[in-house]
Amino acid sequence: MPGMWWVVGAVLVVALGAAYLIWTAGRVERLQTRAESAARALDAHLLRRAAAAAVLAERRYGVELYAAARIALDAVPEEREAAENDLTRQLRTVALDPDDPACEAVIAASRRLALARQVHTDLVRDARAARGRPLVRLLRMGRGHDWPRYFDIDDPTLSLPADVPTG
Amino acid sequence: MRIGIVCPYSFDVPGGVQNHVMDLAEALIGLGHEVSVLAPADEDSPLPSYVVSAGRAVPLPYNGSVARIAFGPVSTARVRRWITRGEFDVLHVHEPLTPSLSMLAVLCARGPVVATFHTAMTRSRVLSAAQGVLQILLERITARIAVSALARKVQVEHMDGGAVEIPNGVAVAKFAGVEPLPGWPGECGPGTGGTLGFLGRFTEPRKGFPILRDAFVALAPDRPGLRLLVAGPGDAEDLYEQFPAELRERVSFLGMVSEADKPRMLRSLHLYVAPNTGGESFGMILTEALAAGTTVVASDLDAFRRVLDGGRAGRLFPTGDAAALRTALVELLDDADRRAALTACGDQVVASFDWPVVARRVLEVYAAAIEATDGRVMDQEWAGLG
Repeated sequence: MPGMWWVVGAVLVVALGAAYLIWTAGRVERLQTRAESAARALDAHLLRRAAAAAVLAERRYGVELYAAARIALDAVPEEREAAENDLTRQLRTVALDPDDPACEAVIAASRRLALARQVHTDLVRDARAARGRPLVRLLRMGRGHDWPRYFDIDDPTLSLPADVPTG
Repeated sequence: MRIGIVCPYSFDVPGGVQNHVMDLAEALIGLGHEVSVLAPADEDSPLPSYVVSAGRAVPLPYNGSVARIAFGPVSTARVRRWITRGEFDVLHVHEPLTPSLSMLAVLCARGPVVATFHTAMTRSRVLSAAQGVLQILLERITARIAVSALARKVQVEHMDGGAVEIPNGVAVAKFAGVEPLPGWPGECGPGTGGTLGFLGRFTEPRKGFPILRDAFVALAPDRPGLRLLVAGPGDAEDLYEQFPAELRERVSFLGMVSEADKPRMLRSLHLYVAPNTGGESFGMILTEALAAGTTVVASDLDAFRRVLDGGRAGRLFPTGDAAALRTALVELLDDADRRAALTACGDQVVASFDWPVVARRVLEVYAAAIEATDGRVMDQEWAGLG
């Protein structure tokens, strides 16, 4: 009976299509959630670095560094990227002594921040790519979330550990 | 931290990735972490206690060479079981773009995944046919590590993603203080004696052996007692026929040396020569020679210049220039103080490639990957970084 095969075929196509849609929705959701987690981790690392810089400024390097750290801590989201870049520039102007615990804390915080920034950028790119697919847009998958935003700052790595060559 | 590491290639055959995985695992265990390594291996082959076998590997021609890898439904089931039982905080896969255990592990993984890219391979032929598959694979990876600037460049340019550059480590302890081979390195004084060494495939043009040979052939008649020690895969006959008959007795060929004998071979030299003409992304052998306390003479490639700290930790000569190499050899063989100065600087350089130091940097990447997955930041102490 040719009619029955036609029905079986149609059911199969619908089932496959539905499976694909469910899988895609799950994928978009997963990437979104991950990008949001990465943003929270990045935020925490930014706060840590600014706090470490403020502690250092109180002890040694004075007003300008302290001001930059304070501004970075208090910045509203629209001004935060610029404030963080200012802090990076301020930190680069002071000579940090890796043997001093307060300096070491700033160097370590900057290194961890650099990693968090790198990971965040990659995960945001993945999430945006998934959100931007035509089918995903058409069905408005992931609409419960804002579009993941890049956080565009300069590489905050301070004195690259002198021992490790970089390219 | 509970760490699961996946090695795509069989531990039954030696190789760069396998050594990297073993050294990294041992360094992480040394720092107090729980590590399990999943790798293909024959059932009866002796494995370190932290390695779990994923079954026998089959040789497969892949990307121009033969790789012994495990791939298929049975391997998938084993990978899945290992991941479930391991309850890892982070999964670290090596070379995930080869169809291998690593790729299966990425596809089975639920938590944070860190991937290390060793080769500068852009993408495999299999995957270039399936961009969508590549994307699914890459988006499951949370953080990426490249072992060289070249591998990192490929990541950035071809795979749309950043990668943290963390160099290969060297197990400094395995190289320092070993005994040289009996009878080596022998005498070396102004105008006389000295032992030069070369390790690698002397038939491969980019390793630059002919440049060393030319310099040796030019120098040996003027310098009695100068000897050359060569190790690596290849036929002794092919090696000796490159030298004039009267010099052949001053050339010794060891054939392939085991990982255990490599430090002894390197200790048996006054100068280790790396005349490579290109294609080196890192220069592992240089760091090993430095760790063994041997003075290094290397061609002026970017990778070598970086390892040798711009020439402070070893002598650089213009790439491909046998005459310049000869001059450099004479200069260093005649001057023991200069050699000692370079070696002393080499010790400092190599300390930064020591595995515990490198493993701490890898741990920071693990921490970043875990944080990006659950959004909370770890303390230095908890991550074992303090």
